[in-house]
Amino acid sequence: METLKVEQVAPYLWEVPRTGGMRVPARIYATRRMMQDIVRDKAVEQAANVAHMPGIVKASLAMPDIHWGYGFPIGGVAAFDEEEGVISPGGVGYDINCGVRLMASKLTRTDVLPHLKDLVDRLFEFVPTGVGAPGALRLSTPELKKVAQKGAEWAVARGYGSQADPEYIEEHGQISGADPAAVTAKAWQRGRPQLGTLGSGNHFLEVGYVAEVYDNEAARVLGLDLDQVTVIIHTGSRGFGHQTCEDNLARMDTAMRTYKLTLPDRQLACAPIQSPEGQAYLGAMRCAINFAFANRQVIAHQTRRAFEAATGRSETDVGLRTVYEVAHNIAKFERHEVDGKQMRLCVHRKGATRAFGPDNPEIPVAYRKIGQPVLVPGDMGRYSYVLVGTDQAMTETFGSTCHGAGRQMSRRQAKKVAAGRDISAELREEGIIVRGASRRTIVEEIPEAYKDVAEVVETCHLAGISRKVAQLRPMGCIKG
Amino acid sequence: MRDCPEWLREIDHTADAGIEVSGRTQEELFERAAYGMFWLITSVESVEPVTVRHVELKANDLEALLVKWLSELNYLHQVEHLVFSRFEIDELGGGRLEGRAYGDNPGSDEQTVFGEIKAVTYHGLRIVKHDGQWSATIIFDL
Repeated sequence: METLKVEQVAPYLWEVPRTGGMRVPARIYATRRMMQDIVRDKAVEQAANVAHMPGIVKASLAMPDIHWGYGFPIGGVAAFDEEEGVISPGGVGYDINCGVRLMASKLTRTDVLPHLKDLVDRLFEFVPTGVGAPGALRLSTPELKKVAQKGAEWAVARGYGSQADPEYIEEHGQISGADPAAVTAKAWQRGRPQLGTLGSGNHFLEVGYVAEVYDNEAARVLGLDLDQVTVIIHTGSRGFGHQTCEDNLARMDTAMRTYKLTLPDRQLACAPIQSPEGQAYLGAMRCAINFAFANRQVIAHQTRRAFEAATGRSETDVGLRTVYEVAHNIAKFERHEVDGKQMRLCVHRKGATRAFGPDNPEIPVAYRKIGQPVLVPGDMGRYSYVLVGTDQAMTETFGSTCHGAGRQMSRRQAKKVAAGRDISAELREEGIIVRGASRRTIVEEIPEAYKDVAEVVETCHLAGISRKVAQLRPMGCIKG
Repeated sequence: MRDCPEWLREIDHTADAGIEVSGRTQEELFERAAYGMFWLITSVESVEPVTVRHVELKANDLEALLVKWLSELNYLHQVEHLVFSRFEIDELGGGRLEGRAYGDNPGSDEQTVFGEIKAVTYHGLRIVKHDGQWSATIIFDL
């Protein structure tokens, strides 16, 4: 592919103008300094490739944490006309509804510090982590089908977590239109032992505290105070989602021939939304979305138990409530205004977060005035952020913002950099206790392997597509 | 760093992982690609080939057959906790593949399996022949 022209069109916005088979431009949110790194790998080309897809509306967008993925770039957002457009499993990714839950406790940092080591050990004991770690739950296929339809509600009904939790989850933790008949036997098989497990790779569970508040009013509405202890749960639909994506990608690969579609990268395989292949993927993907909601709900419950066991306090005294939960890898139908016209669009977010502005009915009533909460985890050594969505995000990015720091080193490079070092000991020096299923995961996930999430978040804040509310710093972490 | 056969190279992908692999025939390329994938997953050189699994599949073309072959082995790894170290392709062509994978269940030793491969991607995948050698670059989602 020829070198793409990238032009600055606003202080924090860059554009690849329409060229060749692109139907719309590609637009990337970044500072000038970040852009120098972004153009080094294939992420810009990937954003431009997405602009070739039928029915894409306005622009192929990328958030400041854009980096080289497969097919879509990580950090990509693309919206397709419901009637004319396509749906693409690659635009959601293998880890369907990978997402983040933020919980806040009644405890302060001082309350938890004496119990921190025990707490991390208990979390490691109560939340299965690592490669293929089997969960505490053993479910039959009929029961798994209920999980796939009811999501977090399924878990709450079985005593995992509180009735109050689903209100504070995107889609209330249960997306409609899930069709268990569209899920393959292999996906059920792979998902069966994994409900309630964290998984490996970049998934984690972190105990932290509120270190800084930037917006007092929004923090008050979200119930966040300085020094308050928080929990972040980052995981998704596990093997159930991976297999669902894989199976549908294979079907779409064939569908591309049926519908005579050609695209620059085979990983972008897609089918018209209204086609049988498109509808089957939607039905199966929604099952995986619900599986992930249920997974995080079960883990949230186990986290509460671990806090009680480690601190010796009651559930009420620990008071670990769900602040909000967002999805990072998802495709959903939403209404947005495009060129002055209201349209129903299929919005794909691949490593991007929904960030609806104030007064949107999708936001819990308690938060509606401030905008939808957005949780942006960083690496395990530095910090994470709480933001809120803005009106500007609604007009510019289909109500979307960044989702994380994004890697800057491959796992191989990270291992070289960490060779001979004791990463756990280094983090302990900084007051952070880490436990991983293997030394390798901790090494591959060293803080330097990631970009500074502060820069990503600041760019979203300055570009106006979300607003900073608070910064959280880590105290303890378990890794898969 | 670990030793790696001269026909296999791990490539740097920022978010995920990839291998570049080559072979004298398409069959050898497929066998070595499978070895390469398990090289990323485990200490493949020390896996005893005591259990066998047969794989039969169909796909539209050679690239899709390669993705399906590796995906099927990863599926067997995920659900049966098997790791494989020896591969034999019995038939390849006309949109069909028949092959065998030999390996073992390493048990619960957490250090044996390094990491989880979520999936085998089509991203940038091309099987090419150059100077009598077949080669492919494969990106995995981790």
